[in-house]
Amino acid sequence: MSKQKDNSENPYMPKPYKVLEFFRETPDTFTITVKMKIKHEPGQFVQISVPGVGESPISICSYSKEHIKLNIREVGNVTNALAKLKKGDKVLIRGPYGKGYPMHSFIGQNLIIIGGGCGVAPLKGIVDYVEHNRKDYKDIHMFLGYRSPKDIIFSRELEEWRKTYKLTVTVDENQHGEFCYNAKTGFVTEALKESKITGKNTVAFICGPPVMMKFVIRILREKGLKDEQIYISAERLMYCALGICCHCMIRGKFTCMDGPVFRYDEIGNYEND
Amino acid sequence: MFAYKVSIKNYEKFLEAIKKKHELIAPVKKGLVRFEPIKDIKDIFLEKNAYFPVKEYFFKKQEVLLKFQGIKVTQPKLESPTRVFFGLRRCDLNGIKHQDKVFMETIKDPYYIAARKNSILIGYHCEKAPSKYCFCGTLNLADFYDLIFYDRQNYFLVEVGSKKGLELVDTFSEFFEKTKIKITPKEKKIRGADRLIKKDISQLYDNKDWEKGVNACLSCAACTSLCPTCYCFEIHDEVKTSNPTESERKRTWSSCQLQSFSKVAGNHVFREKRSERFKHRIYHQLDYFKERYGVNLCTGCGRCIEGCPTRIDFVDIINKMKTSKIKNVKTKR
Repeated sequence: MSKQKDNSENPYMPKPYKVLEFFRETPDTFTITVKMKIKHEPGQFVQISVPGVGESPISICSYSKEHIKLNIREVGNVTNALAKLKKGDKVLIRGPYGKGYPMHSFIGQNLIIIGGGCGVAPLKGIVDYVEHNRKDYKDIHMFLGYRSPKDIIFSRELEEWRKTYKLTVTVDENQHGEFCYNAKTGFVTEALKESKITGKNTVAFICGPPVMMKFVIRILREKGLKDEQIYISAERLMYCALGICCHCMIRGKFTCMDGPVFRYDEIGNYEND
Repeated sequence: MFAYKVSIKNYEKFLEAIKKKHELIAPVKKGLVRFEPIKDIKDIFLEKNAYFPVKEYFFKKQEVLLKFQGIKVTQPKLESPTRVFFGLRRCDLNGIKHQDKVFMETIKDPYYIAARKNSILIGYHCEKAPSKYCFCGTLNLADFYDLIFYDRQNYFLVEVGSKKGLELVDTFSEFFEKTKIKITPKEKKIRGADRLIKKDISQLYDNKDWEKGVNACLSCAACTSLCPTCYCFEIHDEVKTSNPTESERKRTWSSCQLQSFSKVAGNHVFREKRSERFKHRIYHQLDYFKERYGVNLCTGCGRCIEGCPTRIDFVDIINKMKTSKIKNVKTKR
């Protein structure tokens, strides 16, 4: 169960890594590329520190041997402080932690990727993984929902994704009729409902606000997907990321250790537990 | 295991000798009963179980995990004093055993291990339940101690439970007299502590009575801080006011009974209702922990009930949930 390689190592101790790039995605989101060469799975996360402010769990939104990318939304003290990072700075990180998406078990299947807002971040790890292993998977459907055109993250990548995958982008509102990747105005759930996806030889990945996930699951079931074909990435309050502080428990499961990626049938009615 | 006879006189001499050599920590009555370093062995109070558990000596209420100087991180120097704990009941001993699983097996927590590794645990067997709230009887507590004392009124019978315990007897052999008296499983049983009728609550998750039972809950978290096993914590950073480039990362006890326990960015709370939080605590104690570690987390000390300002008795609530169907039939007029 332990993530430690060396018993004498302090599991709470972060290590410094160099920031290779800071990219402003939206007014309140940015992506940093960190020179952390570490084996990881898409869907895993790291604990990132700002001394004197605190630590935050952030999912890895890339798949590379050279670095990790972290997409961060400025919603709290730690993330606000992280927004001050610049290229060349050192940042304290420990991890990676948790179970990611078991990509090996989906070889030969169609993938449906459904993300809402900053929930797109962990799912980008899947896309990066697929890019490295494209022939292993069949059709890739992506449904990405954002609040408005100015909230769209990964705009640089969306251009590429549009060419390669079956991409549907939605925005809840688009008052000024801005261009945004042929985005439909409406909820991502509506776009999903209208689509012709089926449950045959398919697996779906969802990450987004709890209410969105709830409705997406309902639609996927209507489309014929079983709970075993649905993977969610759960968000919980987390301190240790080591399976002991208990804040991230979903019934008896620890989001930090048994998740954050769960097959939906494993945690069932997860929303109020 | 071996048993030894210790006379009342030698019992006092033994504790006195330990006190000379190491720090001796035992229950003391100061208004409420709590574990404290002993200055005078006459202060040791064994009539009732301690109101506060012993866990704070290993899993501290607050502890500095890391120190920062700019981006430089260091771990504070950790001390491992030899401490002898005396007067631990079976519930507290098993509480330590269960926290060991968390802090020494799931991870190697350097802070807990430092505080724990040179401790010697000497138990004190309860002949009968020391409180009306006790319910350890049905929880299959393990024999977990270095030594345990059985109070036979005019002498003590001492059982050895580990190598450490045996070494202690060897060191202080003048106070211990070998005996052929065996402590039978029946004698290990604690009378009057069987009130938790069924500890398997796996089928009760959707029972409506979780709601009914906790109308009086104040979300004060007394239950979790008095629990010998509850181990939830939070981690926060503190900047040194004298030098803002220096800071400390601290671990503090927290409680799943507080609403903020599951609050995420955007202020979403996953266990909003008190009944959901109450149920989560009991499930962690009697179900979730067992799923992961093979034993119930709860050791049946009853402190969470005794210390509850509105005396919410979860044992009673569960017992009633179980028996409600049968009761309905029987009480039909």
